[in-house]
Amino acid sequence: MPKMILETTINGEATELLVQPYATLLEALRETAGLTGAKEGCGTGDCGACTVHVDGKPVASCLMLAMQVRGRKVRTVEGLANEDGSLHPVQSAFVKHGVPQCGFCIPGMIMSASALLEANSAPSEEEIRLGIAGNLCRCTGYTKMVAAISEAATAGKEG
Amino acid sequence: MRRFELALPSTVQECVAALSDGGDVKVVAGGTDLLPQMKNGLVKPGKVVDLSGISELQKLEIDGDGALHIGAAVSARTAELSDSVHNGFLGVAEGAGVIGSYQVRNLATVVGNVCNAAPSADVSPPLVAMDAVVVIAGPDGQRLLPISDFFQGVRRTALQPGEFVVEIVVPAAGANSGGTYLRHTPRRELDIAVVGVGTQLTVQDGTCTKARIALGAVAPVIVRATEAEAAIEGQEVTPELLDKAAALAVGSAKPISDQRGSAEYRLHLTRVLTRRTLQTAFERATGRSSSRNGAH
Amino acid sequence: MATVMKTSRDVRGIGLRIPRVDSPEKVSGKTQYVGDLQLPGMLQARLLRSPHAHARIKSIDVSKAKALPGVRAILTAADIPELEPGAKTRGHAMLAIDRAVFAGQPIAAIAADELAIADEAMDLIEVEYEVLPAAVDPIKSMRPDAPRVADVGTEADTSEALAHSGIAPTESEAAENAPNVAQKSNLGRGDVVAAFAEADYVLEKTYHVPMVHQGYIEAHASVADYNRATGQVTVWATTQGSFNTRSEIADILHIPEASIKVIPLECGGGFGAKIRALTEPLTVLLSKATGRPVKYIMTRREELEAGMPAPSVTIKLKTGVKKDGTPLALEAETVIEAGAYSGAVLTMSGVFLASVYQWQNFQVTGYEVLTHKPSIAAYRAPMAPQTAFVIDSHMDQIATHLGLDPATYKLQHLQKGGDLMAHGQPWQVNGARECLEALMEHPVWKGRDEWKASGGKNGAGLRGTGLAVGGWVPGIQPTSASIRLNPDGTLTVLTGAVDIAGTNQGLALIAASAYGVDIERVKIVTGDTDTAPLTGISAGSKTTYTVGAAVIEAAEDARRQTLEIAAGELEAAVSDLDIVGDSVVVEGVPDKSITLAAIGKKGNTFQSRVPPVLGTSALGFSVQAPAFAAQLARIEVDPDTGQITLTDFVCSQDVGKMLNPLGAEGQIQGGAVQSLGFALTEGLMYSDDGRLMNPSLLDYRKLTAADVPNIECIIVEVPAPAGPFGARGVGEPPIIPAPAAVANALQDATGVRLTVLPLTPERVALGIVANGGNGHK
Repeated sequence: MPKMILETTINGEATELLVQPYATLLEALRETAGLTGAKEGCGTGDCGACTVHVDGKPVASCLMLAMQVRGRKVRTVEGLANEDGSLHPVQSAFVKHGVPQCGFCIPGMIMSASALLEANSAPSEEEIRLGIAGNLCRCTGYTKMVAAISEAATAGKEG
Repeated sequence: MRRFELALPSTVQECVAALSDGGDVKVVAGGTDLLPQMKNGLVKPGKVVDLSGISELQKLEIDGDGALHIGAAVSARTAELSDSVHNGFLGVAEGAGVIGSYQVRNLATVVGNVCNAAPSADVSPPLVAMDAVVVIAGPDGQRLLPISDFFQGVRRTALQPGEFVVEIVVPAAGANSGGTYLRHTPRRELDIAVVGVGTQLTVQDGTCTKARIALGAVAPVIVRATEAEAAIEGQEVTPELLDKAAALAVGSAKPISDQRGSAEYRLHLTRVLTRRTLQTAFERATGRSSSRNGAH
Repeated sequence: MATVMKTSRDVRGIGLRIPRVDSPEKVSGKTQYVGDLQLPGMLQARLLRSPHAHARIKSIDVSKAKALPGVRAILTAADIPELEPGAKTRGHAMLAIDRAVFAGQPIAAIAADELAIADEAMDLIEVEYEVLPAAVDPIKSMRPDAPRVADVGTEADTSEALAHSGIAPTESEAAENAPNVAQKSNLGRGDVVAAFAEADYVLEKTYHVPMVHQGYIEAHASVADYNRATGQVTVWATTQGSFNTRSEIADILHIPEASIKVIPLECGGGFGAKIRALTEPLTVLLSKATGRPVKYIMTRREELEAGMPAPSVTIKLKTGVKKDGTPLALEAETVIEAGAYSGAVLTMSGVFLASVYQWQNFQVTGYEVLTHKPSIAAYRAPMAPQTAFVIDSHMDQIATHLGLDPATYKLQHLQKGGDLMAHGQPWQVNGARECLEALMEHPVWKGRDEWKASGGKNGAGLRGTGLAVGGWVPGIQPTSASIRLNPDGTLTVLTGAVDIAGTNQGLALIAASAYGVDIERVKIVTGDTDTAPLTGISAGSKTTYTVGAAVIEAAEDARRQTLEIAAGELEAAVSDLDIVGDSVVVEGVPDKSITLAAIGKKGNTFQSRVPPVLGTSALGFSVQAPAFAAQLARIEVDPDTGQITLTDFVCSQDVGKMLNPLGAEGQIQGGAVQSLGFALTEGLMYSDDGRLMNPSLLDYRKLTAADVPNIECIIVEVPAPAGPFGARGVGEPPIIPAPAAVANALQDATGVRLTVLPLTPERVALGIVANGGNGHK
């Protein structure tokens, strides 16, 4: 079965990837584009570890076929930092608050959190918790994540 | 997931053609039901047809008669946030708004949720309660089907080979009407209804002129609580009447016991959720409330 | 020998809120896990698994599957001479030979060019099964006529019990008339019959906790690369103990340990499930069969169906107390369901049940029973959450019945240092009482009457508050560490400890303090099995306690060597020297000093006579340091749906000495939410024929951020005499108390006492109905 050419934009760069028709977006990112930040935690959209942005919205990349992002814009955790390499406010806040433990949920969590803050620049604690409710974490118990996201919201406004 | 060919039509005609060459073909829009099923080996299509490139399927609009048209590729999140859906079809927005999580709702489609035909589908009860119509495209053109006739069993619909749903049309409920969808889940997100109820009431001068109560996850298909509806229609609405209707709704439910809940608990929830949705629908129909029903 | 702390120098770092060094990498998605590894020519693996809980395998035909282009190898039991019947552990039963003993047991292993081809190959393998009756219910499985699970003559496996607790059952027998009872234990003291006769109030209840999955987000995974020319194999694994993994692979495959190199990559969560080998032996065999690297990652469905969950526990508990609550007698029968292979931490269950509160007379009988389900492994304080649920719920009910305040009652009868545990060892000094007292002072506890009274009014649900206490006796394991001084004056600490809980940060703080430099000068490196000194598993809340002690000794050894070299260079006495900033200085003589970098350089320079500084240590341990936690839950209950909403949750925990606040809080909060998962939503559900009914994360429900409030942490410090700076293990206690705390709160709010976990809305709603409750409309 021949591969297909996927023309898309990943982290701001126009990209052409050769993918299997049955490849998911997650597989294409991890295995063809070499962007292994997004993880598979369940493969069925029930854990959020694969969350990336498509046209600015957080999606479960394990549930999209790679070819479905043709002509669209994809952003992964690798593309969140600023051009000078400094971290996105959510990333810095996660570091400062001691959020990451095993780290496996973190890329997906950060993508959900950054999407939340782009849509809502001053979320309440409740809104933050709902905003990351699609991302399971087993190590942290979420408390520090919520504090970090709240701080990142404030930092984003000042910075 | 096994290997398959992928077709990328850009029009409805091309899609019909892609579906017509026989064999095991599936359409994909959001993929939030299809991909898990493929990964579990429940379906093994040799060919998948992607609807996401057909721009006319993205349509979400109100027509001249006030009816809502939801194209097959409209995401649940879009429907959840749309003013057109909120103003007059709030139950549908609420149903769309509780599917999965943000990252699932940005992909899942309202039409896909209906076509998957799980009894626990969240948009189906409010659509049934609003007498929605399913528009199907196939080799012989288009046909319309009332949504109640569309569901035939657990994950079985009236779609014939080569057909797919292009849109769902929801007629305007008219003045003095209010509706809602409420479900019970153990977790607040990432969950699936143990029981879900979609209710739409039209109330004129304190009397109910039209009642629709649609029960989800208590039978192989969405069922209308017809006895409960009959008890309310034509009557002056009082708390006692709504209590009675909620109790009657239990008789329309024929739930099974499974890993999500026992039949006993589902019957219990049928009464509880019917009563709560009747309350909310009544308040919305009479202008006492336009707010969310407590679901987020 | 255990290291007793003599002094703590002026420490630079201990107690400061310092993020883990690997955080920037983690938030950037740069950390490498096994699944991220790409090697040239690498193949992908899938395992075909039995759909039946118990079946004879009559035939397997892989010919059509092998013929599929892109399939490189298919292994069945017939291809693996190392597979022996009567497998002594789950790991040894890599593939079923002639009988599948749980639904999900691997039957065939496939390596192919891509996963989609491996999936298609699975469809083409034809297996003929003869389905046999399955032992599914643990109580029924104890009957003499229950379908037999283990092959005749299999020993009960007590290695897990020993690893975690140092306590093996006093008897270990598979009774002839109960074929599936693999272990039996008995703990007793005093005369329970006489004591019951004196009791004013006897309470007997049966409690049940289902099997639960550890819930790590990264599934089991391994990559193996077998070199046919040398017979050496490299295995990249997600593991909590690379040395343990190496030993198990060697044992299972009958190859020398020296031929295996295990490289532990970042572990995406283990919680006890990634101690035993699971995927590694088969990936090694597939790599050997194909001559190429092979990657195998379990799907989430496979993890839930065929992982190594925590056991189900059924405990019948009967207690007798005086009317003032004085505990007189405790009698319990504990049934631990281990799945298809023995390995439960049996005796510890009895110890926790009868030791946390003081009973003069008790009799606890324990059984490990086998069923046709996936066999179990450890889960963060094995047996402690389940037994705490039982004993603390029970104490709470006794207090309520007698009109006593539950917290005061528990405090009065809680163990203290010196009291005897159920197996005769004394409790070491610990902070259980301090933890409970901290909660009793908390506004949520003090405000409980008001909170309850406000329930059911103004649209609010029913309201209640509950608390519970639980403790863990951590493991010990011998370990070693080394420290070298680099030519730039920094220190590198080498251990084999896999860093899961942020222990590396703690070890860095310990090394810095013990050697005498700022933490910025210390780097911790985790070596693989070829390069690291032998190190124990990262589990059992013992990493900081044991590896930390080893690091202290190695650091002090390195400091001694450093000062001796400096003494020679500076012509001063060692006793006059100290390390300040980046140099060794002579006290009182400001211009006499030598930088650490200079000393380091001298140890690595051509023609130098100065040896390199290399501190080492190798330690065994004998003393464990118990660690306690107490948790407080404030809830609101929807009386009609039965939904429990947690509005406040507080965890107080004795950490001995707080080394790393961000790390400790993270462990406490994470463990608390796992504990709440036990309490509210989690449980593996099996059909009558032994199939898992909830094999996805949709129906195996883990709590999300929207389901829990902030977890408030109260740190208690009662130093452990033998811990580094008095520190105790932090990882396990927080998973213990929540189920009892929430069940106690539920009774407070609704009058309903549930004795089965999880406390689902269905159980709550139907419990209220059974109590004659009438909810809101």
